[in-house]
Amino acid sequence: MAAMTDAAGITIELRRGGRGTPLLVIHGELGVPGWLESFAQLAEHYDVIVPSLPGYGRSTRPDWIMGVHDLAAWVTWFARDLDLRMPVNLIGCSLGGWVAAEIATVAPQFFNKMVLVGAMGIKPERGEIFDYFLEGGSAGLRRAFRRPEQSSEFMRYWGKEWTSEETDLVEQHREMTCRVAWKPYMHSLTLRHLLPGVATPTLLVWGREDAITPLECGEMYQRAIPRSRLGIIENCGHMPEMEQPAEFARLVEDFLLG
Amino acid sequence: MTRKFFFFSEMGYNAYPLEALEQYGYSALLFPNSIFDAEKARDLWQMFLREHEYASEMGFDGSVCNEHHNNVLSMQESVNISAAVISQRIKGTIALIGNPLPIHDNPVRVAEEIAMLDLISGGRIISGFVRGTGVEQLSTNANPAYNRERFEEAFALIKKAWTVPGPFRWEGKHYHLRVVNPWQLPLQKPHPPIWAAGILSPETIRWAAKQRITYLVLGSALDATAQCRDIYHEVAREDGWTPASEHLGYLIHTCVMDTDEEAYEMGRHHYGGASVIGRSGGVAASALSTGTGSAGATGGGPHPEWMAPPGYMSKQAKTGNMARERRMSEGSYDGAIRGGLIVTGSPETIIQKFKHIIDRTDPGYLTFWAREGKKPHNATMRGIELLGKEVIPDLREHQSALVTGKEITPWPQ
Repeated sequence: MAAMTDAAGITIELRRGGRGTPLLVIHGELGVPGWLESFAQLAEHYDVIVPSLPGYGRSTRPDWIMGVHDLAAWVTWFARDLDLRMPVNLIGCSLGGWVAAEIATVAPQFFNKMVLVGAMGIKPERGEIFDYFLEGGSAGLRRAFRRPEQSSEFMRYWGKEWTSEETDLVEQHREMTCRVAWKPYMHSLTLRHLLPGVATPTLLVWGREDAITPLECGEMYQRAIPRSRLGIIENCGHMPEMEQPAEFARLVEDFLLG
Repeated sequence: MTRKFFFFSEMGYNAYPLEALEQYGYSALLFPNSIFDAEKARDLWQMFLREHEYASEMGFDGSVCNEHHNNVLSMQESVNISAAVISQRIKGTIALIGNPLPIHDNPVRVAEEIAMLDLISGGRIISGFVRGTGVEQLSTNANPAYNRERFEEAFALIKKAWTVPGPFRWEGKHYHLRVVNPWQLPLQKPHPPIWAAGILSPETIRWAAKQRITYLVLGSALDATAQCRDIYHEVAREDGWTPASEHLGYLIHTCVMDTDEEAYEMGRHHYGGASVIGRSGGVAASALSTGTGSAGATGGGPHPEWMAPPGYMSKQAKTGNMARERRMSEGSYDGAIRGGLIVTGSPETIIQKFKHIIDRTDPGYLTFWAREGKKPHNATMRGIELLGKEVIPDLREHQSALVTGKEITPWPQ
């Protein structure tokens, strides 16, 4: 399912499957470990396109990418290089949600509909975004799930003892995240002020027990983006696309069809 | 050049309760500063400064000071303030090991402060630059992923500020300054001697060799230090020059007392607790951690993850021979002694041990880390006295086997 391809100035790892209108998925700071169950379900009705962002997975890392704005610009370039017909539907998870929100503030013509999942990008008023970098890679991954051992996707990708390559990949993702989101940590000082100008129909999806990006951030996004809706998934942490794939895919499909 | 002998102390806050280390499992970064007692720290400062002064009186060529943040290990949050004060208490050289460049957003400030120090001290400054440990990056919110880039760019900027007449403009990747034109410049020309100090990163050793500056090995095991020297010399050979003794410095935990037995027991203060050696979050232990994030048995030091935040350390540095050897040595106090991380003994024994060390590494600057942890002041002072009066005079005469081609002095049994 994963192939290497040249696009937007670099070589990237691209997963793509299904038939239908394009549905672009921008992964989060933990990378995308494989063709997820939720992707497979969405691929029944959509052409699901999942690039590994620059510096993640096997995608190369250009040193000039130093911030989330750079990633946002890169994603629009990538979509043009893939000849995706605009506007596209898009899912942005966590850091990828922040990337998507940044694009939506400057290029409303880019998206048909947008789904932000446990999105980074705005600073909560009461709680805090979890600091991945005071803990090890394993601790951060576990915290992203409400019950890692009960998630088939967690167990499939991260539940066994890691090989040296898997350990390196986790560290590589952490390093790339540092490069783009170290300070201010995982948020922008301007984004929340620009969100009221977003014209894209938006669904926000949050796990009720998200211990990385507090649910409060989802509520703030919902209040800020006109006509947006917040869908909360019960018994779920920061990665609904992995921890509750069926419920996640159902929410997304209903939104895209509605 | 003649070999120089320096005194070093982290000047750590040793008034911490041991049970606090047990309770938290670490002694840095998140170790709560509610434990800090300012009155005890005031007294510690006077004690530490007196120890530096005494080392100077006993014939040491200089003192070495350092910088750490949010760490029981060291009370020196500013190496430049330490150096300023010490320069007024000792006669010899003050080596800073050093300014952690990546944590600064304006490296010219560092250039200015070193120039001040050099002027105030009458040209007695050695300016060491370091990348800082992982904890320094987290304490100061310096992005660890750009640590090496920032280090190298800041170094280039400081060196230019010292050697190229201002004003000039600097538009780099990490640093941007409209006007670089520091009014005060160092007394020593073209600038004070520059050192790079490090522990495990072969990249830094290679970089130092490329710059032809002294590389100071920070408290590493003997075999690892010999490897550092080999790497340095290899790079120099490729570049067509031959390093001298002065291109290598060696900082080494040293505990000398009147008898071997006494020194062995007193040397325990160099191991465990909040010390650099033998803690759960020791440098090599952290470097080899796979991210389980658990604190280890001894309780002190930083959390392992904090020493190697993402992008701070290359895989080679984490898993290479030098890291492995250090980790092997750190497992126990006796292991640390066997590996040469801690050198103990009576003057007679220690002289032989250091002749062996000099024979194998030929450091131009030998720095005795002779005060550590909760070691009592009187024992520290006695150690300084023995080093100054008995050990250093004997070692001054000793030429390295690497230079003479003679047999290596055997390690005493």
